[in-house]
Amino acid sequence: MVKMTLIARVTDGLPLAEGLDDGRDLPDSDMYKQQVKALFKNLSRGHNEASRMSVETGPYIFHYIIEGRVCYLTMCDRSYPKKLAFQYLEDLKNEFERVNGPNIETAARPYAFIKFDTFIQKTKKLYQDTRTQRNIAKLNDELYEVHQIMTRNVQEVLGVGEKLDQVSEMSSRLTSESRIYADKAKDLNRQALIRKWAPVAIVFGVVFLLFWVKNKLW
Amino acid sequence: MNRENQGYPNFPARPPPPPSSSSSPFASAPPPGVPPQSGGPETVGFRPHTRPFTPSGPPMAPPLGVMRPVQPPLVSQIPGQGSRPPPSTAYGPPGGGSFQRFPTPPPPPSGPPPTQTLAGHFSPPMSLPPQLPMGPPPQSMSSGVPGGYASPPQPGFQQSGPPINPSYPGVGSPQPSFPGYPSKQVLQGPPSSYPPQAGGFAQHPGQQNLHPSYAPPTSNVQGLAEDFNSLSLTNIPGSLEPGLDQASFPRPLDGDVEPNSFAEIYPMNCHSRYLRLTTSAIPSSQSLASRWHLPLGAVVCPLAEAPEGEEVPLIDFGSSGIIRCRRCRTYVNPYVTFTDSGRKWRCNICSMLNDVPGEYFSHLDATGRRMDMDQRPELTKGSVEIIAPTEYMVRPPMPPIYFFLIDVSFSAAKSGMLEVASQTIKSCLDNLPGYPRTQIGFITYDSTLHFYNMKSSLSQPQMMVVSDLDDIFVPLPDDLLVNLSESRNVVEAFLDSLPLMFQNNVNVESAFGPALKAAYMVMNQLGGKLLIIQNSLPSLGAGRLKLRGDDARVYGTDKEYTLRVAEDNFYKQMAADCTKFQIGINVYAFSDKYTDIASLGTLAKYTGGQVYYYPGFKSSIHGDKLRHELARDLTRETAWESVMRIRCGKGIRFSSYHGNFMLRSTDLLALPAVDCDKAYAMQLTLEETLLTTPTVYFQVALLYTASCGERRIRVHTAVAPVVTDLGEMYRQADTGAIVSVYARLAIEKTLSAKLDDARNAIQQKIVKALREYRNLHSVQHRLGSRLIYPESLKFLPLYGLSICKSTPLQGGPADASLDERCAAGFTMMALPVKKLLKLLYPNLFRVDEWLLKPSEHLDDLKDVLRRLPLAAESLDSRGLYIYDDGFRLVLWFGRMLSPDIAKNLLGADFAAELSRVTLQEQENGMSKKLMRLIKKVRENDPSYHPMCFLVRQGEQPREGFLLLRHLIEDQMGGSTSYVDWILQIHRQVQQNG
Repeated sequence: MVKMTLIARVTDGLPLAEGLDDGRDLPDSDMYKQQVKALFKNLSRGHNEASRMSVETGPYIFHYIIEGRVCYLTMCDRSYPKKLAFQYLEDLKNEFERVNGPNIETAARPYAFIKFDTFIQKTKKLYQDTRTQRNIAKLNDELYEVHQIMTRNVQEVLGVGEKLDQVSEMSSRLTSESRIYADKAKDLNRQALIRKWAPVAIVFGVVFLLFWVKNKLW
Repeated sequence: MNRENQGYPNFPARPPPPPSSSSSPFASAPPPGVPPQSGGPETVGFRPHTRPFTPSGPPMAPPLGVMRPVQPPLVSQIPGQGSRPPPSTAYGPPGGGSFQRFPTPPPPPSGPPPTQTLAGHFSPPMSLPPQLPMGPPPQSMSSGVPGGYASPPQPGFQQSGPPINPSYPGVGSPQPSFPGYPSKQVLQGPPSSYPPQAGGFAQHPGQQNLHPSYAPPTSNVQGLAEDFNSLSLTNIPGSLEPGLDQASFPRPLDGDVEPNSFAEIYPMNCHSRYLRLTTSAIPSSQSLASRWHLPLGAVVCPLAEAPEGEEVPLIDFGSSGIIRCRRCRTYVNPYVTFTDSGRKWRCNICSMLNDVPGEYFSHLDATGRRMDMDQRPELTKGSVEIIAPTEYMVRPPMPPIYFFLIDVSFSAAKSGMLEVASQTIKSCLDNLPGYPRTQIGFITYDSTLHFYNMKSSLSQPQMMVVSDLDDIFVPLPDDLLVNLSESRNVVEAFLDSLPLMFQNNVNVESAFGPALKAAYMVMNQLGGKLLIIQNSLPSLGAGRLKLRGDDARVYGTDKEYTLRVAEDNFYKQMAADCTKFQIGINVYAFSDKYTDIASLGTLAKYTGGQVYYYPGFKSSIHGDKLRHELARDLTRETAWESVMRIRCGKGIRFSSYHGNFMLRSTDLLALPAVDCDKAYAMQLTLEETLLTTPTVYFQVALLYTASCGERRIRVHTAVAPVVTDLGEMYRQADTGAIVSVYARLAIEKTLSAKLDDARNAIQQKIVKALREYRNLHSVQHRLGSRLIYPESLKFLPLYGLSICKSTPLQGGPADASLDERCAAGFTMMALPVKKLLKLLYPNLFRVDEWLLKPSEHLDDLKDVLRRLPLAAESLDSRGLYIYDDGFRLVLWFGRMLSPDIAKNLLGADFAAELSRVTLQEQENGMSKKLMRLIKKVRENDPSYHPMCFLVRQGEQPREGFLLLRHLIEDQMGGSTSYVDWILQIHRQVQQNG
């Protein structure tokens, strides 16, 4: 069954609407919300382009669809049929676009469409029980194909960003260290030069000094 | 009585302060243009000093109060600063003022004598000491001397009088030393009590000497005004004699007068309806703060209703995020300064230099102002609302939620309460804020709990009865709290049937505690507002209460206060839990018997709610009041799941908070539901011994969810100057704010001490403050039998008396029932300043004459009706009066009121006993006019609905109960009258003074 529902804008990860009594009987709902937020952040950076995806996390699974720069995400039990979950998101998407379509891009504040939560709650109730006639019919309906939708693990998804971060960090460290190396090499070169010519210079200097002293004394 | 503005005509005569302020205040004395010889006339003036000093004593303290010019605070403060070595005792203003003032005397009639004589004339003062210790004169001496002589621009003067030389350097140098000079004692002796207005007296000797024939007292009265007001209490204190002029006692007949001088100086401060400081001058040191015996703090009403056109602007910072100080988290406000060509800004509270985000950057113009200042309300307005980004949310904004917990036991149906309440709720369904997200739910209870399934698909609500009170469970997971717009029909069907369902209920038990727990379980997912409608004493289950009230034997003992605090810890615990889950509780109590408001009110107190109390509810009498107040509670704009914090500059700290709320951390007020009718008082303490900044900033920030689902931050910013002068603090005091703090402190005190103690504490605080003020001025005045007080605090004694006579604190057990007391206490803890002042000193006005006049217009009440002092003397038995304290309207019919008026207003039964008559509009102009007036009075203050009572003169005990007892200035029963109160205070001020 559906545990929580969030709608966010992909371009900047701004939350647009959320199911209200989400996480009612979830002991660690905060942790999952954090994961969702991290996921949105990843999406806004353009890491995951797939428009339909399922992400496993612990005993639950996130399903999301991205349509018109809006991400509709829901968290369900693993046992909950994937087909129904995506049907649910499809329903939300249709209604959301119908009601708020033109305003999505201009929304400036978080939860600008919080009024949508009443619809989320209503729809959620329809999908609560998988054995109702309506839902069974939907399950049997072969029109909607969900087999191709990729399933990945949340650590993997969130990890992609982390790895990229690591790589860029490493490369930047490499740049700065090579610069240091170049500086040091120059320095060494100069020192070697000095070491090589210094004795000669000193000898000549002494000789000239002697000459000069001699001239002076005479 | 002296008014300060009498002194103003003098101001133009003052020469402007010298451009160069030298190290000594004295040096700045003479006007630049004074010719050297002018030292002469002044010496002539000076000579008589030796003689008139003794006679000049009496005029200093004339019976009706000496008038002296008032120094305009800020003008004179500037020369004072820096020029006085010890800041703690630096009475800057007087120094500057006095010497600027000195040259005003008219030119001397006698020609200037040769300067050489100066020395000769000057020597006599050397022999003055025996005459000096007479008292007041030293001031005039001290100020007269340096004013006349210490004039650097007069070189001739300096050289010509060798004998003066030893004294002169002293005057010129920052630390005056007058070797062997008599006035040295004055200058150095009592610097701390050096009167700020000594300057005023500088004129004394001058005028007297120049015009020896001038009558001293009149010249005083005309030329000078006092800094303080005084009440002349010439008769022997303690005995009430006809000589005492009661009419001259100060009364706040114009309502609350806000000190507005600072609003003008700091136009970017937030309006005083949001934040009022008890004094707009913050003391610079702990020692000064400890001498200011009045409370130091503020009264905050964060959501006060703004009049049309002055709404708080709403700002969205967008992608730059909210601009806040990195260190102290202050929000950007008009007092921050931008530097580094606009790339950095300096926090005004902690003076930290912060970076300006790129999106917020703007160039500065030549004066350092941002170019885009006009487009940024947060940089020009003291009050703004900011749209909060996601970081300020722990969850999506909650919808407005109203949950009703209704007692349906026997008395509820019988009194008609159930019917009125359900009708009112039904009529408000359209106006509940937050459509279409608003949620609503109901639980009713008597000895069992009734839940209602209001699923939108049902046509009628389903009732579920739970009778297990020990182990409460909620029979349905959803649909107890439903979306109003979806389940509208079910909710309406429920409200229609509610009164009928229980009309024959004979159950008298009330399982309040379990019902509260059940409501908590339903609501704790989202929070919201819980309205408890309670009819009888909770008698079953947890939180069961005993009949413990009104036992007269407990009064006067040390146990007395326990009656006024919650009996069972259950209530405080529940309140704490509710606050945690953003549930705000309002309590409506209706019983004519004891219901233990003290315990029930605790729920409201700690969840930021309110208590409404309708003793002995009858729908025919109280119906309108309940209708109005419940409707207002449901429909007013409410801020949900909010927290409030007030920040202030370095060195000071808010140490205690008073009002209805729960303190979440040391300075964070948790307010599950807050609206415009709630105010909070707080007191501050100085943490550092010395404040070095010239000003102190305050910033109130309320983070809340608006009913429309927006998360917002309302920010109010204000600034107040730091002063080193106690007199200045008194001048800038705000009686309204002080009284608000006092009333809250007194009510809190009744929860831990006897009523008597609480009353005495108020009196003591006022006495201490006035005594300190008297000490400030007694040095140069013979105050004799006058009570002196600053103009700003002239109503303080009267309001103090009103607090002592207010319902929570008045008299003994017979004067008010315990429930009334507690309910009034909870109400007063939340009232904003203006409403509190109105309750403390209600309006009384005469209307019969106005009713007879044909005039039609009714634009401003103040034009039409004059407020009268609250004393029986104001009541004329031929008149018709209205008494209005914001909660009740009493129409008092004089015994000899023309029967026509009574007949016109009351219709046929005008001669009947008025307790049975209700005021209804009759078919005549006079009645319509009166009803319009009453309507207008009610509209002026919509937060409560004043009920209308009619009473005829002599109808005892009704008259005494309704009106006479509330005539604050009279002596009733064991209470003191205004005159006695003033005398008591005066006597105590003089003792150990």
